Amino acid sequence: MKVSREEVEYIAKLANLKFSSNEMDKLLKEFESILEHFENLDQEDLKGYDMYSFEEKSLRTREDKVVDFENKSELFSNVKKMRDKFIEIPKVVD
Amino acid sequence: MYSVKEIKKGLEEKKFSTVEIVKEYLEKIKKEDKKIKAFITLREDEAIKEAIEVDKKIASGQELRLLEGLPVGLKDNIATKGLKTTCSSKILEDFIPPYDASATIKVREKGGIVIGKLNMDEFAMGSSTENSAFFDTKNPWDLSRVPGGSSGGSAAAVSAGFAPITYGSDTGGSVRIPASFCGVVGLKPTYGLVSRYGLIALASSLDQIGPFGKSVEDCIYGLEGVQGFDKKDSTSKDVKLPDYFEEIKKGIKGLKVGVPEEFFGQGIDKEIKKKIEDNIKILEKLGAHIERFSLPITDTGLSAYYIISSAEASSNLGRYDGVRYGIRAEDYSSFEELIVKSRTEGFGEEVKRRIMLGTYALSSGYYDAYYKKAMIFRKKVEKLFDDAFDKYDVVVSPTLPILPFKLGEKINNPMEMYLSDTFTVNINLAGVPAISVPAGFSKEGLPIGMQFIGDKFSEDILFRFAYALEQELKLDLDPWKEGR
Repeated sequence: MKVSREEVEYIAKLANLKFSSNEMDKLLKEFESILEHFENLDQEDLKGYDMYSFEEKSLRTREDKVVDFENKSELFSNVKKMRDKFIEIPKVVD
Repeated sequence: MYSVKEIKKGLEEKKFSTVEIVKEYLEKIKKEDKKIKAFITLREDEAIKEAIEVDKKIASGQELRLLEGLPVGLKDNIATKGLKTTCSSKILEDFIPPYDASATIKVREKGGIVIGKLNMDEFAMGSSTENSAFFDTKNPWDLSRVPGGSSGGSAAAVSAGFAPITYGSDTGGSVRIPASFCGVVGLKPTYGLVSRYGLIALASSLDQIGPFGKSVEDCIYGLEGVQGFDKKDSTSKDVKLPDYFEEIKKGIKGLKVGVPEEFFGQGIDKEIKKKIEDNIKILEKLGAHIERFSLPITDTGLSAYYIISSAEASSNLGRYDGVRYGIRAEDYSSFEELIVKSRTEGFGEEVKRRIMLGTYALSSGYYDAYYKKAMIFRKKVEKLFDDAFDKYDVVVSPTLPILPFKLGEKINNPMEMYLSDTFTVNINLAGVPAISVPAGFSKEGLPIGMQFIGDKFSEDILFRFAYALEQELKLDLDPWKEGR
C-alpha cells in the first residue's frame, strides 16, 4: 500500500519525531514493503470474533486504603534540570 | 561452567565458597566477554559483598534458599535499583532506576546474586541484538553470527558459561529466538505468570520475563525464582504453582502432540525441518501420540503481531520526552523542541520505525484497516490455540525457520528480519507459554531449537517434554569445546 510523504510527515508530528529528507525517503520505502505484508490480514475470515470479549469480566481491585509513598525524592533522581522541588523545562504557555 | 544443582550442592557440602564461585564467574566474564560482549554492566563489588554474606549464612548452618549464592544475569530492561538500566538505548544511557523490578526483588529474596545487566535490542525491538545502541553481541557458537534477539546478551551469557541462570523478556519471541540460536533452553511463561512490574514496557499485553538455562532443570530454577502473583502488576495471575521437578519425572508417555502443518511448510531451512521431524519421532518412541493438524495462523499472525506490538510500543514509548528521566537534547528553543529533539536524538532507527508504524496503525483513518483487524484476528488465534489444546497436550514446531545468520545480513531489510519471528509471535498473541529447547546442530555446527507450546499455565507439561527430549538427545552444549 502506497503511503504519501505528507501522511508520514503527519505521523512523525504525532509521534514527536523528526526525520531528515533522506530518512523520510527510506522510511517511505520500508513502510510500503511492511504494509504490503500486512495486506494478508484482508484475506482472513474474521466473522464471529469479537474484539472486546475477554476471559476476565473485570480487573482485580484493591482496598480503598491510603498507603503512604516514602520514596518521593528518589523519583526525581534522574531529572536533568531541577529548580528547588520542581522539574525545569522551557516555557510551555506564552 | 556449572549447573545450578552442582553449585547448590557444592555450597552445601562446602566444596567451594560462594565468594569463590562468584569470583570464578566474574573472572570468566572479564576474560571471555571481550569476544562475546554479552554484558553492558557488571556488578562486581556488590556481588562479592553479597557472596560474603551467603558464606556467613552457610557457616552458621542456616538453611539456604532456592537460588542462594547463584550468580544471575538480568536483561537490561529489568529495573535494578541503583544500577544503570538502559534498555540498550541512548535515550536511557544514564538512567538509574530508583526501584527494583518485582522479578529483581524475587530473585534476591530467593538468594540470587545479580552479577550484571545484559545486552539487548534497543527497547526489546529486534531479533538479533544488532539494534543495541551500544554494541553487537556475538553468538558463542560462531562469533561472526548473531545470538538472536532481543535477549541476545542473556542467551549468549548462559551459552558461554557466564552465569547459570539469566533472565530475558519475550514479546514476540525474544527469549525463545536467542535460546534457539545460542543452543540453550529459554521459556516464555504464560502471560500473567511472571510480574511485569519493573520490566520496562514494550507491548504491555504481550511482554513476559522468561528464564534461560543450559539445561531444563536450570530453566526450572530460573522460573521458580520469579514466578508468582504480584499485586503491583494488575495483569499478574494468582494460580497454583506446580512442583516442576516432580512433574518432569513423569515422562511423556500417553501425552498427545499436535504437529501444525503450516509450521513445517515452505521457506523452512531443510536441515531444521529434518532435525525437528527426527525429534518428533523420538517423542513418539518415548510414548507420546503424534498427530498432524492445521493451524493456519503463521503469515497473518506475523502481521497482526507487528501491528499490535508497534501500536502498544508507540504508546508506551511516548513517555520518553527528556522531562523526568532519560537524555535531554543539548539545545532547544521551546518545549516542543525539547521533546522532539530528545526523542529523535535518543531513539535508534528500528525504534523510530516501529513507533511510526504503531502511530500510523492507530491514527484515525487507519485504525479500522490495521489495528482493529489485527485485534480481531488475535481473538481468532486465541480460539484456534484453545481448540488445539482441547485435543493436544502440546503443539510443536521449529523455533525459527532459519539458522543463525551472519551479523549485518538482515539489518538493512526490516521485513526480512521480522519474518524470523513467524513461529514465535502467535504464542504471545494468545498469551500461552512456550519453551525452546536445543534440538541439535546443523552440518556447520549451528544450534537448532525446537519449540513446545502449551495451554495457559501448562509449564509443567512443557518441562516434561523438554526434559524428556533433552535426556534422550544428551547434546554437548559447550561452545568453547576444542575443535569448534
